[in-house]
Amino acid sequence: MYAYSGFAKSAVTVALIGALSLTTTLARALDLFDGDLQVHGFLMQSLINTDDNNFLGRSKDRFSTDFREIGVNASWRATPEVQLSAELLSHRAGGTDDGDLRLDYGLVDWTPYSSESGRGGVRFGRVKTSYGLYNKTRDVPFTRPSVILPQSIYFERTRNLTVSADGGEIYVENYGGGGLLSASFALGLPHADTESARVALVGLNRPGRLESDLASNFQLLYEEAGGKYRVSLTAARLDLRYKPGAGDSLRAGRLGLTPVVFSAQYNAEKWSLTGEYAVRRTSARDFGPFFYNGRADGESYYLQGTYQLAPRWEALLRYDAYYADRSDRNGRDFAAATRVPAFTRFAKDWTTGVRFDVTPAFMLRAEAHRVDGAGFLPAQDNPNPLALRQKWNLFMLLGSFRF
Amino acid sequence: MQTNLLIKYVVSLLRSCAVRVFAACLLCNVAQAQNDEVPMVVIAHPGTSRDAIPRESLRAIFGMLLHKWPADTPVRVFVLRDDAPEHATFSKTILQVFPHQLRMAWDRQVFSGQGQYPEQLGSTQEILVRVATTPGAMGYVKANEVNQNVRVLRIR
Repeated sequence: MYAYSGFAKSAVTVALIGALSLTTTLARALDLFDGDLQVHGFLMQSLINTDDNNFLGRSKDRFSTDFREIGVNASWRATPEVQLSAELLSHRAGGTDDGDLRLDYGLVDWTPYSSESGRGGVRFGRVKTSYGLYNKTRDVPFTRPSVILPQSIYFERTRNLTVSADGGEIYVENYGGGGLLSASFALGLPHADTESARVALVGLNRPGRLESDLASNFQLLYEEAGGKYRVSLTAARLDLRYKPGAGDSLRAGRLGLTPVVFSAQYNAEKWSLTGEYAVRRTSARDFGPFFYNGRADGESYYLQGTYQLAPRWEALLRYDAYYADRSDRNGRDFAAATRVPAFTRFAKDWTTGVRFDVTPAFMLRAEAHRVDGAGFLPAQDNPNPLALRQKWNLFMLLGSFRF
Repeated sequence: MQTNLLIKYVVSLLRSCAVRVFAACLLCNVAQAQNDEVPMVVIAHPGTSRDAIPRESLRAIFGMLLHKWPADTPVRVFVLRDDAPEHATFSKTILQVFPHQLRMAWDRQVFSGQGQYPEQLGSTQEILVRVATTPGAMGYVKANEVNQNVRVLRIR
């Protein structure tokens, strides 16, 4: 039965690749506005296997096919000052995302100010959230350094909350002095009332709903020598209110999240080195006696190296660490207070991987993770915290096509 | 257990790749030594009012950030495929950006709705023709291919 459904899924994937190829031809034919209208997209299917714990679907001792991404976008440069863009995305990720088609972004980008040495403008609509080096294109396999982004900073678990917001973003860029300096400030409503955000923040099977206030986001980015060095600072603020449902054991609580991320990257011709460090302040209050109220400073960081082995081959090595509370790194205080295993409060992940670009449009990846801790595992895939194992291995294969 | 085997497989894969690295590096060096690179130049539509451009502005234009230059003239950017040797030479010597970095910068913009790809043409001859006939156009050709119909931009 499983083998059959696996086959059916592969068949669907092949059919979709066929359909996308057709779209490519169509997109070329659709050059109505003298190249000002562009249509692009991607499709990714992966196989996920773990020896313990489930990640991105039912992966323990089998291969999960439940991590799949398909996106198609269109952009139209109406005038040199105005661009309209939208992307439709299906993102399936185990129990955290069902792959329903969503508007990933849909925005008007207006650049009223432009000179030889810089430009400034505003984007409004559904705008992707600036967060670290990778968040804006986090679901696009070709822009990621690995099958999954370092989970300490780019949680799959809370993706829907951090991926985009409905509102606006002001940006300024300066080109001069050998570099590019850009700053952006965004205000918007994140997608708080989704099942995945609720589970990640207040737990499984809660009858209530989460509402978000306007969230703010600030990013400063400096690129020296055409992107050889890139450094950035991101700070964000999210305030969420919990509205209890019927028979809810939780009260009307409030959550506050204030992550600050420092990022640095060095790109040489054949190798690159990337590090990001984040302090994530979270506060939970007024939820009542059946919740872990209080304030904690989470800490995350990773160091990652990639090396071009041969023209179409790239190798990856990364160490990624996540601590839910840096004053309780080993999680013992939390375990004593909640009886949930201490190792759910951290995760230390060694990753190695290879990427092979079969053609510029088709990429294959293999990746192995050795993880100590269950800190970034979603509850949807692992409903019983007592069945979790502290040390586990993760193996992933990915095939991705783009046009 | 199954995963351990897979990890071993990946490690052996990495090892075999390491051997390829040295071979590839050697080949690369030889190839570079043989290819006495003809210098590339930036060209613009002959109607442009300038004959020089700062390197940072040129990077912003070929990085598809800056859409108007000079002043309010809409820019149109023409490039070759990523793997064309002329594209690599232009990126590395004129823009001083590695071609894969340029590609990354385009991808980041296109897939977040902030920008578009430049138009890709098949040869420098084609770039020469399109730049000559498209107001606001910019592109690159080998220095010895330049003709009267385009303007060469100095980097300042």
